[in-house]
Amino acid sequence: MSTILRSHAEQLYQQELDELKKQDNDKKPANWKLSPQSVVLYLVGGKLKNGFEISPKYIGAKRLMEIAVATLTTDRALLLYGLPGTAKSWVSEHLSAAISGDSTMIIQGTAGTSEEAIRYGWNYAKLLAEGPSEKALVETPVMRGMKEGKIVRIEELTRIGADVQDTLITILSEKALPVPELNIEVQAVRGFNIIATANNRDKGVNELSSALKRRFNTVILPVPDSMDEEIDIVKRRVESFEKVMELPAEPPALSEIRRIVTIFRELRSGITLDGKTKIKIPSGTLSTAEAISVVNNGLAMAGYFGDGQLKAADLAAGILGAVIKDPVQDSIVWKEYLETVVKPREDWKDVYRACRDLMN
Amino acid sequence: MVHILGIRHHGPGSAANVKRFLETVKPDIVLVEGPPDADGILQWAGHAEIKPPVAILAYQSDRIEQSLFYPFAEFSPEWQAVQYAQKKKVHVRFMDLPLAHHFALENEAAKNKNDEGTELPANEELNNSGDGLPGENEGEEIVEQIKRNPISWLSEAAGYDDPEKWWEHTFEHRVSNEEVFEAVQEAMAELRSCLPARKDRREQLREAYMRKIIRQAEKEMFQNIAVICGAWHAPALSNMPKQKDDNELLKNLPKVKVDCTWIPWTYSRLSYYSGYGAGIHSPGWYHHIWRHPNDDGTRWMAKVAKLFRERQMDTSVAHVIEAVRLAGALASLRNLSKAGLEELNEATLSVLCNGEQVLMQLVHDELIVSNRIGEVPVDIPKPPLQVDIERQQKKLRLPPTADWKDYLLDLRKENDLERSIFLHRLLLLNISWGTKSEVSGKGTFKEQWRLQWDPAFTITIIEKGALGNTLEEAANSWAIQQCEKETSLKHIAGLLEQVIPAELSRAAASIAQRINNMAALSNDIIEMVAILPGLVGIMRYGNVRKTDAEMVRAVAESLITRVCIGLPAACCGIDEDTAASLTEDCVSINQSIQLLQEQEYLTEWHNCLQQVAYQIQATALMRGFAARQLMDAKWLQGDILFQLFYSSISRSLPVAETAAWLEGFLKGSGTVLLLDDDLWQMVNGYVQHLEDEAFMQVLPLLRRTFSNFTPAEKRKMGEKVKTGGIAKKSQVISSGDFDNERAKKAIPVVMSLMGYKLD
Repeated sequence: MSTILRSHAEQLYQQELDELKKQDNDKKPANWKLSPQSVVLYLVGGKLKNGFEISPKYIGAKRLMEIAVATLTTDRALLLYGLPGTAKSWVSEHLSAAISGDSTMIIQGTAGTSEEAIRYGWNYAKLLAEGPSEKALVETPVMRGMKEGKIVRIEELTRIGADVQDTLITILSEKALPVPELNIEVQAVRGFNIIATANNRDKGVNELSSALKRRFNTVILPVPDSMDEEIDIVKRRVESFEKVMELPAEPPALSEIRRIVTIFRELRSGITLDGKTKIKIPSGTLSTAEAISVVNNGLAMAGYFGDGQLKAADLAAGILGAVIKDPVQDSIVWKEYLETVVKPREDWKDVYRACRDLMN
Repeated sequence: MVHILGIRHHGPGSAANVKRFLETVKPDIVLVEGPPDADGILQWAGHAEIKPPVAILAYQSDRIEQSLFYPFAEFSPEWQAVQYAQKKKVHVRFMDLPLAHHFALENEAAKNKNDEGTELPANEELNNSGDGLPGENEGEEIVEQIKRNPISWLSEAAGYDDPEKWWEHTFEHRVSNEEVFEAVQEAMAELRSCLPARKDRREQLREAYMRKIIRQAEKEMFQNIAVICGAWHAPALSNMPKQKDDNELLKNLPKVKVDCTWIPWTYSRLSYYSGYGAGIHSPGWYHHIWRHPNDDGTRWMAKVAKLFRERQMDTSVAHVIEAVRLAGALASLRNLSKAGLEELNEATLSVLCNGEQVLMQLVHDELIVSNRIGEVPVDIPKPPLQVDIERQQKKLRLPPTADWKDYLLDLRKENDLERSIFLHRLLLLNISWGTKSEVSGKGTFKEQWRLQWDPAFTITIIEKGALGNTLEEAANSWAIQQCEKETSLKHIAGLLEQVIPAELSRAAASIAQRINNMAALSNDIIEMVAILPGLVGIMRYGNVRKTDAEMVRAVAESLITRVCIGLPAACCGIDEDTAASLTEDCVSINQSIQLLQEQEYLTEWHNCLQQVAYQIQATALMRGFAARQLMDAKWLQGDILFQLFYSSISRSLPVAETAAWLEGFLKGSGTVLLLDDDLWQMVNGYVQHLEDEAFMQVLPLLRRTFSNFTPAEKRKMGEKVKTGGIAKKSQVISSGDFDNERAKKAIPVVMSLMGYKLD
């Protein structure tokens, strides 16, 4: 086990990528490590001809992954759009790992992201000492991606200021990055493209200008369709977390995960799963990612402070934290849910007790 | 030589294949799966004025509700086969089990329903049922195992999750089509041999009959026979069993008389979303690929872009280019030779709609389904009622369209008035082509209609044909029938309200007569109160409508008298809710009687109200209301009024009662409180002298009363209370230091600002 806290996708799934490469006979676009078909297979999982099992990375509609991959084969960039916690960054990481074998070309978009972070910066010590030269240039991931023909990821594109966003227009349409100070330009090598992610339920975001929007194909990643799909996602992610974290706790029972997912789905949709009782919807998004972290959190609690078995009490604090984002409104919602939905359920007594103890 | 062409109903690829095949093989007779009952009207399919989508409507002559539609689109293989035969002047026949038998069997089955339980619905679309083709409903008796679509076995084997998609890619979207029919037949034969035999008697009968027709054609010495049938039947028709068995099966089938006609159809009716079990998802798309078989998606995307531009959404040519590219990339990713609708939709969603699903709904409605409507020649034999309706549609310039269209009718114009009458008559016959919506602020002479034609109206028209040969006659008899069946006064009055704008004098007279008779016998004053405003409304309506509303007037007058007599008694011993709704009704009666401007009724009404106002047993709300109306009419004035007021709100009475009285009294407006200082003092005094506990009790009731006042009134009342009950007098500007000359100069300007003209 390596000492690295979190490995990159291409390291973690190196074996899968190698196996895919070995039997990949379809046509590959220039500078792609895998053919588009294999990239889709890598994302949605399946069995190879030699019996090797590829684990699914994205659980949901295969269609969406196909659109995403097909987009990257054209000269349009890809914009993954969706609620927080719908696996946007996860998908973008795996896409770039599978296509370029490198998911590290990343720019984190923030309100403070400047043009230098996207195009290029200067090493001022060198600049003063030697005058403007290529050596004094500080390359950004975008510039490197263009030179090497790789996929570049931009996280939270809409958080970047509108004026800075628009520097991407030339890069995406001309596929070139001019450096007027040196009177040179960097022309993108085939294989270069951009995957951006953005939230659609967030405050203080900068809408993309329509000129920039036009350069992106949008894929909206939805919250999981069915209960089983969501349980599957949570289960897989929790398992991989356990492996990395070496938690002393036993893996959680499926029933425990099912309960968490049920709570999250019900609160998200505002109606119980049997469709009989309406519930108020809390202000948080209650994404699958949050469900995953609740279970992870619970496992850690059980492992270090409990008896190693994941119990309702270990999960309660996590659930509370995920649901109650607004201390006044959400706690009313939660109390109502607890009393009207959780309490009457025969086999949920432990959840009810654990949650109520925490509230008081 | 018999050529069996197994097709998918409404499959554009199948249609193209059939067309090409027929042109090369040049058969001397074409047999098409369809009802032989309609052989007689097949000639119309070659008529120059017929424009698909159209449908054959077949119905049992003496039981019109037993009916079936056989829809045809331009891209239906059956339609292409019939067209080919008409153009080349070769024989063409339908070869399914005749509906004469089918209906008779269904009637029998319905009779035996008690034994079985479930039965197929009568209005099933036969063309698409039981043929084992994608998207079909298979009937009840089939073994559970193959209850799912049999094609799904093949598609699953080929690695497709959707049988429809598999069929499309394997048979419909092919570029080269050699031997496709043989392949279909082999595939189906394999399926039929692997799956347990279906014990569906109807299917056996149908196939036996198909074979019978083929044999007959052979007997008539046709050399080159082309058979177009659902793919599922193809093997059953090529491997002929013994003739004797088939004849045995078809012996002694029951029979009824069936009539057929052509009717226009719509694409939306062809699609899944019209309540029919079977159909096709995307008629608009099929139409497109039929017309442009070689389109790589560019033409389609251009259509989508045009649609978006029409709806004020910026869509550039670059968008179209990118979308076509993405669709192409998706197709190659999926190893398809060409982008299908799915790829194009995904590309549209991702490039043109920025991932927003909402806009796709527009594409779906306008393009993928599309609202194309067919046409049939005018001289097709039709039931007389339909002819009459079509004649009027033409005359009034109201063309039937599949898309909705709005009309604003001005009833003062001759043509618009006739249109309105026409639409009202159709509505009365349950042909809801038009829906009427309220027009605000335009007076009673305007009507807003939204028209949207549904081909299913034809069946209603035929059904109602028995009532009369013209629309007027049919509507009259229908209304009279309804009126005789109806027993509730309220519903009959409602019927009258429908009949009057439809100008059906015969029906109106008999309905009025019936209302009069029923009112005479009825003891339910409250019900009469409820219908009276409507009747008075009709009387006034008569002026615009140029109808002679005399008989309505007679009914209304007799009802007014009855109400005036019965109302005082009706106000006693009723609960709060009834009192509230009665008061509401009385408000509208009061208005109606005021509008009539007949002194006689006014006096009668005020006498009645006076009785109510002074009747101790009457409910407080009504008493208060009556008192107020009398005051407004200056019937009660001065001391008598105060006396009544004080006695009604005196402190000895229960608080709830006084509050209810006050609510009735102040109903409508609070202006009277503001203007009449004495009244103000009374109410103010009443409220001020309430005990704390009593005040708490009446507060909600008072609040309810006051909440109905306008904000301005409430504000003024508040001010009045603040100033201790003395209303603020508008301030008079002292005229001492006033420059009259300058003021005079301003007057013309002010007058013209207010719209007056000074001469």
